[in-house]
Amino acid sequence: MTTESYKELFRQALRIRLVEERVITEYPGDKIQSPVHLSIGQEAVAVGVCAALRPQDPLYCTYRSHAFYLAKGGDLNAMMAELYGKVDGCCRGKGGSMHLAAPGVGFMGTSAIVASNLPHAVGAALALKREGKGRIAAAVFGDGACEQGVYHESLNFAALHALPVLFLCENNGLAVHTGPQDRQAFTIRTHAETYGIPTLAVEDGHEFCRVAETVRKAVQDIRETQAPCFVEVKTYRSREHVGPGEDFSAGYRPREDFDSWMAKDPLEQDSATRSDLTPAILSEIDRAIQFAEASAWPGEEELLAHVS
Amino acid sequence: MSPSANSARHSGAASPALDAPRSDRSEAISYGAAVRQAMRDALRDPRVIIMGQGVSDHKGTFGTTLGLAEEFGRDRVIEMPIAEDSMTGIALGASLHGLYPIQTHIRADFGLLATNQLINLIAKYRYMFGGAFEAPMLIRMVVGRSWGQGAQHSQSPQSLFAHIPGLSVIMPSSAQSILDSYAHAVRKFPGPVISIEHRLLYDLEFKGDPGVHTIDPFASKLARPGRDVTVVATSIMVLQALRAADFLSADAGIDCEIIDLHSISHPNHAMILESVERTGRLVVIDTSWRPYGVSAEICRIVCESSPGALRAPVVTLGMQPAPCPTAKNLEDMFYPEMAQLVDAIARVVRGSADHGVRLPDEGSMADLYKRFRGPF
Repeated sequence: MTTESYKELFRQALRIRLVEERVITEYPGDKIQSPVHLSIGQEAVAVGVCAALRPQDPLYCTYRSHAFYLAKGGDLNAMMAELYGKVDGCCRGKGGSMHLAAPGVGFMGTSAIVASNLPHAVGAALALKREGKGRIAAAVFGDGACEQGVYHESLNFAALHALPVLFLCENNGLAVHTGPQDRQAFTIRTHAETYGIPTLAVEDGHEFCRVAETVRKAVQDIRETQAPCFVEVKTYRSREHVGPGEDFSAGYRPREDFDSWMAKDPLEQDSATRSDLTPAILSEIDRAIQFAEASAWPGEEELLAHVS
Repeated sequence: MSPSANSARHSGAASPALDAPRSDRSEAISYGAAVRQAMRDALRDPRVIIMGQGVSDHKGTFGTTLGLAEEFGRDRVIEMPIAEDSMTGIALGASLHGLYPIQTHIRADFGLLATNQLINLIAKYRYMFGGAFEAPMLIRMVVGRSWGQGAQHSQSPQSLFAHIPGLSVIMPSSAQSILDSYAHAVRKFPGPVISIEHRLLYDLEFKGDPGVHTIDPFASKLARPGRDVTVVATSIMVLQALRAADFLSADAGIDCEIIDLHSISHPNHAMILESVERTGRLVVIDTSWRPYGVSAEICRIVCESSPGALRAPVVTLGMQPAPCPTAKNLEDMFYPEMAQLVDAIARVVRGSADHGVRLPDEGSMADLYKRFRGPF
């Protein structure tokens, strides 16, 4: 990883963090009328994964959507307007924080139903393999998704038909407020391997360069073999499941975990790079907020448009 | 805003002519053969894939996909794992990337395993992303009613799906309706379509339907004009209603108007209202349960827009409010048969249960359509 690409990935990760920190400060104003699931602490996963994908590779994500939307190249103004419920939002104000899309950069929508996006990436891979232009599809999901039936159905079909799809498990160790000890009788990677799908792991998911490097290997493998690959990235969710706050006082996880994660997070530790990049990002965010504020509400005609 | 149930893409009876292949058949064709022909026609379009359990086996989904895997390849006619949830999500992903998936559920009951993808994703993928995506696809579900199919192999879930904005639900009642509707779905219609086929229709023979159609193939159809009573029917109940009308015309001089509802999600309100305003009487017969279903919806349409039109109470017929039993005597009581339909229509028209019209004794519908196969 060159210094230049370190700095670029750092910039992207920092941009996501500063955007979400701005969401936190704006949230009490009630202008963002949509539940937010923040990715603070997990930005490096999105940045690393999207660095390994091409813009034309379709990506299917979850309701914790801001980080991947931005990392894949989604427009910040359109995202902010979407959070504000405005017509210039990426979904004309009809999706909100949980449902972002930017098909022009391969960001193919996000679902708030856990694991429901996996088969979409598998179906995309079915189409892309026929297309024969070397594109691959990717699904991003959390560790909780691995408990759903459709997760297993999707891995099975992708392996059975050798489809070019990346399964990317963003393992933050939490399904809402519940750890894996109450949820899983299996180990995620070991289990995925039983489908005959090669797996890779990243333990230090705060290292965007490490994530990018590992996912690049997986993506190269998928393009060459035209078959699926599975990557598990360990990461850490800093904020509550939904909403702008911290929730260490709730008692389901210790604050020490947060402290130790932040102690190795480059965005916290490399203050020189952070200071260098922050001003430009903050002005971009200011402009996005202004754009969202200035944008109009969707007209009445939008209510029944795009139904069926 | 307009409260009309017909969206721009469901144009009702006023849409331009369809350039689907017209059948100039003079000979009869069975409903099942028409489905197979529609599947084969669809596969000539390289975007089309068929996915389902048993689509490539020796029975071929009641014969409707028989030989198609051999003709078009097993990568076009794809045998699927027992995993309806993922199959439906895979169809969505494939559709978003340019394929046109046709899914089959040999029992509509199995389609219920796909409700997460159908209701939470497919129905909403266009709307919740502000029109950024289109997800055209056809999902075929077969009502398994025959004898002894029981509680989990015979359900008729049209109203469950028609309840959800974003899904287009149709119930073709004839071979021609299959050919027209499926050609329209695959070639023209940009959204997801659920088609509920009825197993008892499969072996029935239908005559060709000559003439140029200028209507939306998904729209409700006037199956028989009449002056005394409006009968709104779905799927195989359209045939029952047509036969009841012939009987009542010959035996009692009662003239029934029959509307083949066909589009469950986007029924033609104007056609129903115009008819009921003219006849003043309404009978609804559906293949499923009555509460919260097609029967209830047709009553809603009439009561909201033309409450003064009715000169007699509405009568609705459907399955009894229980899961389907298997014992033959119970099953016969569970489904409405010809005698009940004739009785209901006579009661509504004559205004009394003591209407004096002779009731036909046909026995169970499932038995009848094994012996009598048309042509219709």
